[in-house]
Amino acid sequence: MLEIGMLLDGKYKILSEIGRGGMSVVYMAINEKANKTWAVKEVRRDGVIDYEAVRQGLIVETDLLKKLRNPHLPSIVDVIEGEESFIIVMDYIEGRSLGKALKEYGAQPQEYVIEWAKQLCDVLGYLHSRTPPIIYRDMKPDNIMLKPDGNIMVIDFGTAREFKAKNLADTSCLGTVGYAAPEQFGGRGQTDARTDIFGLGATMHHLLTGRNPNEPPYTREPIRNINPSLSAGLEKIIEKCTQEEPINRYQSAEELMYDLEHFEEVDDRYKKKQKHKLGAFITAASLSVVLAGTGLGLNIAAGQLASSTYDELIKQAEFTDDVSRKEELYIQCINIPDKSGDITAYEGLIELYKEDDFTKEEEHKLITELIEKNMDALESNRQSFAELCFDVGELYFGSYKYYTDSEDNTSLNAFQGAKASEKWFKNAYDYSDETYENHETANAYRQVGALSNKISNSGDSDNANQKAPEEEEYRELFKNMNDLIEYASTCDDQYLELKIYDCALTAIDNYTYDFIDSDISSDQLMDMYERVKSAVTAIKPRSKYESVKAEILERCPGVKERIEYAKNAKEEA
Amino acid sequence: MNYLVSGATDMGTVKKTNQDSFFANIINTEIGQVAFAVLCDGMGGLEKGELASASVVNAFNVWSKNRLPQLCTGGLNDSVISHEWTNIIVTYNEKLKQYGQKSAVRLGTTATAMLVTEQRWYIVHVGDSRAYEIYDGVRVLTKDQTLIEQEILAGRITEQQAQKDPRRSILLQCVGASDEVYPDMYFGDTIRNAVYMLCSDGFRHEITENEIYSYFRPEVMVNTDTMKMCSNELINLNKQRGEKDNISVVTIRTY
Repeated sequence: MLEIGMLLDGKYKILSEIGRGGMSVVYMAINEKANKTWAVKEVRRDGVIDYEAVRQGLIVETDLLKKLRNPHLPSIVDVIEGEESFIIVMDYIEGRSLGKALKEYGAQPQEYVIEWAKQLCDVLGYLHSRTPPIIYRDMKPDNIMLKPDGNIMVIDFGTAREFKAKNLADTSCLGTVGYAAPEQFGGRGQTDARTDIFGLGATMHHLLTGRNPNEPPYTREPIRNINPSLSAGLEKIIEKCTQEEPINRYQSAEELMYDLEHFEEVDDRYKKKQKHKLGAFITAASLSVVLAGTGLGLNIAAGQLASSTYDELIKQAEFTDDVSRKEELYIQCINIPDKSGDITAYEGLIELYKEDDFTKEEEHKLITELIEKNMDALESNRQSFAELCFDVGELYFGSYKYYTDSEDNTSLNAFQGAKASEKWFKNAYDYSDETYENHETANAYRQVGALSNKISNSGDSDNANQKAPEEEEYRELFKNMNDLIEYASTCDDQYLELKIYDCALTAIDNYTYDFIDSDISSDQLMDMYERVKSAVTAIKPRSKYESVKAEILERCPGVKERIEYAKNAKEEA
Repeated sequence: MNYLVSGATDMGTVKKTNQDSFFANIINTEIGQVAFAVLCDGMGGLEKGELASASVVNAFNVWSKNRLPQLCTGGLNDSVISHEWTNIIVTYNEKLKQYGQKSAVRLGTTATAMLVTEQRWYIVHVGDSRAYEIYDGVRVLTKDQTLIEQEILAGRITEQQAQKDPRRSILLQCVGASDEVYPDMYFGDTIRNAVYMLCSDGFRHEITENEIYSYFRPEVMVNTDTMKMCSNELINLNKQRGEKDNISVVTIRTY
């Protein structure tokens, strides 16, 4: 038995007892020659009931750890087995477990959790890259030590194999069930790297929310339901880690690490991207099935290669700040054979072009060309094609000035954006059904665009056979404009929102009399005007849109005056 | 209020040990007769599951003999019972955990205990054993603390999928293997001429509520011999239908 003051194995001087568990005592020891402190864990034969089982567990744990070298894993320097006890000499880890930190202080600050998660990704990446890969299987706050320097260590490899597929008839109760991935309960295939991804996600969730998954209500709500001030990007990352199906999680620690390093960027774009990725996955999956059916194993491999290259390029594009490099990368993606039907890269381009507000002619041309060239591939997924068309439509819709300084040009340019976007919204509408959230909005956009085209064509001498719009159509325009205003209030693109309001004002301004002749009362026009004005006033624009807002507000009095004038004229008449 | 109590257990067709334990008794107190029953379904390697379930049953048994009569003198209420029972559960969670650490095994047990008095019934519940009230129908009084129940409630899987899911036997918590244990408490008003039943999960997987009702309805359960017979009938039915687990059931008939 170890005692304070004794010299173990001629090297380690036992200094003090630092911990006592159910079956072991841990001492701090010093190697005086090397002037280094160690932790010495002693498990005594007479201290445990089933010594042989405990000993076997310890041998597994120590054999495993002895082979590993990672700054976040404790190293074992010595295993001393005697008649009466099993002694392990290992790194002395100062600090305490995150489980303890949670008990004492509750939820942990987001920036710490992200830092710890990155370190955990590092260590998991290391473990998973061993041959054969080591799956830790027991990620939880209690097994993570926080050192005074802020770094973490993963401990406890002895229990790492608790979750073997169980005999299903047996009831079992697992203390850490809340962090365990579904496949750890057996019957669902092997545990692998993605099992640890789940555990890490569940651990992050507990750290961020302070909610222990092993305590009532045993649920894992999105983190912002519990604390709204947490990052949306982080929420998405955790959701992705803790998906039921391994295929829907991050596939490797490196992939997760990448998102953790960019979690703020993940914030806004995530939603869109996810939808598309799923589409791409389904396409890819069905493609593989077809190919497998024809026995072209080689092509499957090529297809997978294309997918991973594609994903890699998309990532690079998403996170570079160099605009022209971004554009180049997205175009490269679109040109990868087999991937021209994946809309992710197109969406990236649109996103990029939206940033410069007034899309240049050549950008329009490029997008149009790319889409037309790959029409067949894109059309094969009707829903995603509809989404893409909707986004192109909005890009066009937002990218023209609706009016110019010159009086004469006003009506000509009034609905330029709406006109240019018509065919895109028509596609978005035609290719989707009611299940698409923007199906009706696409319709409203399309009709506004269609009417604008009709109005301007009817005034054009080359199109003399074009009829002027009927009253009915103005009533439609009014209704659609109202729908778009409604949509604008829910839309998270500030620029587009302003553009829709601008378009509405332009409609009122230009067609005041047409509306009134079509049984839209001046009061209804005034209502729309007031609605738009107060909505614009309420917007707190990002600095680059301040001038857009100011311009719109500036034209308000003129529009109001026109409605009032029309009202008086009508009454007099 | 008067009571008849009966209990039956069976190792089942596959397992080599019976890890279920139960205790049921009628106790004379200052507030008249009361019926007390506790049923635990143990888990763990070899004989350790029995140890877990038996020690918790024993703890409740001792409580009902020593402590319950005293409490009745002072007048029972929900919070007193709740406090006392939670104490037992928490204490045994720690004891079993420590034992498990020393022997390097995980062991644990479910625990469902029920006290029926003239006015009121009280239940403490951890795990997936169940308490039922059988009167003009079958009513489950407890909620299973299983991962699968949680998944069903969250809408992630359907009842049908749950039947086949490998997680259906995973408990959210149990006495002896949880870091912290949070027992559920249930209270209600006692019905005269009703049957109260506790059972381990082995008793209920293969039979329907209709079958439980037809055997256990108050009109049938009129003396302890019949009660015993009905219990055995249902146990046999379970075995015929392929139940692999230990099977236990305790019934209390009020009149």
